[in-house]
Amino acid sequence: MEKIKSFLKGFGKGFKKFGEGVSNVVNFVLLTFVYFIGIGITSLFAKIFGKKFLDMKEGEKSYWKNKEGEKELKDYKKMF
Amino acid sequence: MNILGISCFYHDSAACLIKDGKIVAGSEEERFSRKKHDTGFPFNAIKYCLKEGEIDVDEIDYIAFYEKPLLKFERILSSHLETFPKSFRAFVGSMPSWLNEKLRVPSIIRKKLKYKGEIIFVEHHEAHAGSTFLVSPFNEAAILTIDGVGEWTTTSTGFGKGNDISIKKEIHFPHSLGLLYSTVTAYLGFRVNNDEYKVMGLASYGEPKYVKNFRKIIDVKKDGSFRLNMDYFVYHHKMRMPSEKFVKEFGPMRKKGGEITQRHKDIAASLQRIVEETIFQILRNLHKETKCDNLCMAGGVALNSVSNGKILDNTPFKNVFIQPASSDAGGSLGAAMYLYNSILGNKREYIMEDIYLGPGFNTDEIRSFLKGNNIKFKEFKDDNKLLKKAADLIHKNNIVGFYQGRMEWGPRALGNRSILANPCNPEMKDVVNKRVKHREPFRPFAPVVTYEDYMDYFEAKTQVPFMLFVYPVRKNKRKLIPAVTHVDGTGRLQTIRKDWNPRYYQIIKEFEKLSGVPVLLNTSFNIRGEPIVCTPEDAYRCMMGTGIDYMVIDRFLVAREDNPKDKWTSWEGN
Ligand SMILES: [Fe+2]
Repeated sequence: MEKIKSFLKGFGKGFKKFGEGVSNVVNFVLLTFVYFIGIGITSLFAKIFGKKFLDMKEGEKSYWKNKEGEKELKDYKKMF
Repeated sequence: MNILGISCFYHDSAACLIKDGKIVAGSEEERFSRKKHDTGFPFNAIKYCLKEGEIDVDEIDYIAFYEKPLLKFERILSSHLETFPKSFRAFVGSMPSWLNEKLRVPSIIRKKLKYKGEIIFVEHHEAHAGSTFLVSPFNEAAILTIDGVGEWTTTSTGFGKGNDISIKKEIHFPHSLGLLYSTVTAYLGFRVNNDEYKVMGLASYGEPKYVKNFRKIIDVKKDGSFRLNMDYFVYHHKMRMPSEKFVKEFGPMRKKGGEITQRHKDIAASLQRIVEETIFQILRNLHKETKCDNLCMAGGVALNSVSNGKILDNTPFKNVFIQPASSDAGGSLGAAMYLYNSILGNKREYIMEDIYLGPGFNTDEIRSFLKGNNIKFKEFKDDNKLLKKAADLIHKNNIVGFYQGRMEWGPRALGNRSILANPCNPEMKDVVNKRVKHREPFRPFAPVVTYEDYMDYFEAKTQVPFMLFVYPVRKNKRKLIPAVTHVDGTGRLQTIRKDWNPRYYQIIKEFEKLSGVPVLLNTSFNIRGEPIVCTPEDAYRCMMGTGIDYMVIDRFLVAREDNPKDKWTSWEGN
């Protein structure tokens, strides 16, 4: 009985690991697809039209950015 | 009104409960989970806060989260778009945690806590600003928040008046003093988001010979704004920090655990110099703009106690308050305070005068723990006798764990979860290191000094209740307290007043009677790599697993040698 229990336990653990492995592979494939299609194409178009996503140029007079105005309670209910 | 503040999923998860504007409880999750810098959902810390506040989840009026996840996600996506295709690995590595938790904050909170009320998202640097100004003793103050990065912001300046905070200006990612510091931390073979203070300690051994090299990397304007030359960094698209160009500039990276050479020390010193210069430039401008002599600071970089100790000499500010939990843990407190005072417009009700906001255990609970585990101990009916005995043990060069009352909020042990030792013994730093802390030999130990005497021992500009400022030890005292005098003649002191922590104060006074010195070596009650102890069990395990000789725990004295070592010899052993 003990042996069967430990076999089942081991089997369960192995199956869980296998499941995790499969989900990692699926995640990887999906994320690769999203990266090269979604991010890649957008980035390509952005480069063509000269759009910058990070402000990295030097030599400006000041690097401070002014903070936008007042917010209300309803603005704080949003995640953005 | 009950507001629960939460910070999690990045670094130092924490929870904090405020009731009608007063903080009733706060703790980092790591203290319960025993995982250092635990980033997970702070379920245990929340459970503790509600228990301490004697409320149920349905009595929470608001939950305040310490940042805006979608704004942060926008920054992550922008970095990937900007750096495509170099960011592929970072994208694949980081997206699962975004999809599984970081973008699902509301549903995770509701599900885990069965909470049905409002959730408020305060911006990361607003939360930092709230964590300092709104609990400071000032009615008006200039505010500087400075860290690695929040959503987009890495540095912000503003002004606080009454219950209002207005952030005026910001520096945005990827330009960040915190990330510059972390990059050098990684370059020097230490752990990012953990070992920055080691670089600060190492800096004291070096000469700032590489300042010129750093000037190529950071462009600081007269108005204090700055920009990094991103050719020297890869953190915006890789899981690493310094670029090959950085390595070319400074020489080969130090491998983890490798020898620390003079070059490494000089690089650390140069970084520290550049960071200080930049902070002071920002502060001088902030003073000019606000015309206010009071300053409040928070954010991870505000834990740079060496730089903090120089603020009053290098800027026009006259008073400084820094949030003791300035890293992201403090964001939970800041978000809750910001919501209560600045968003909802309530009057300020709280000044942070001590930080004993964590769990406490009463005498009966501790006695029953000791008895229940067959631990040999001595109970002292007369507390004076116990403190006298403890001071005598310290004077005889024993290492004494000092455990009492509620646990500290923030990264420093300030007398309730402390290890105390004799600062007058020149060997004591090595002894504590060898037997308990196993730290790198270049890192200093900190002194705690009584309020009446700190000016005699330190060239301090202010009292330092939260151990956030490093000041020079007076030249004529350095030989008296060698174990807490750093190589450059400084100490990261804590000043203690009787009314802040009477027993902690008294043990120093008793030590003074024996040694003539009102100073003790104080270090956190933990082993290297582990969080500070929380429960009596954590403390006992820590003592038995290390070379701590005695533990004063509430009214009890426990000696290591009286108890069987084979029972709880280490954390892993159980
Ligand atoms: Fe932060």
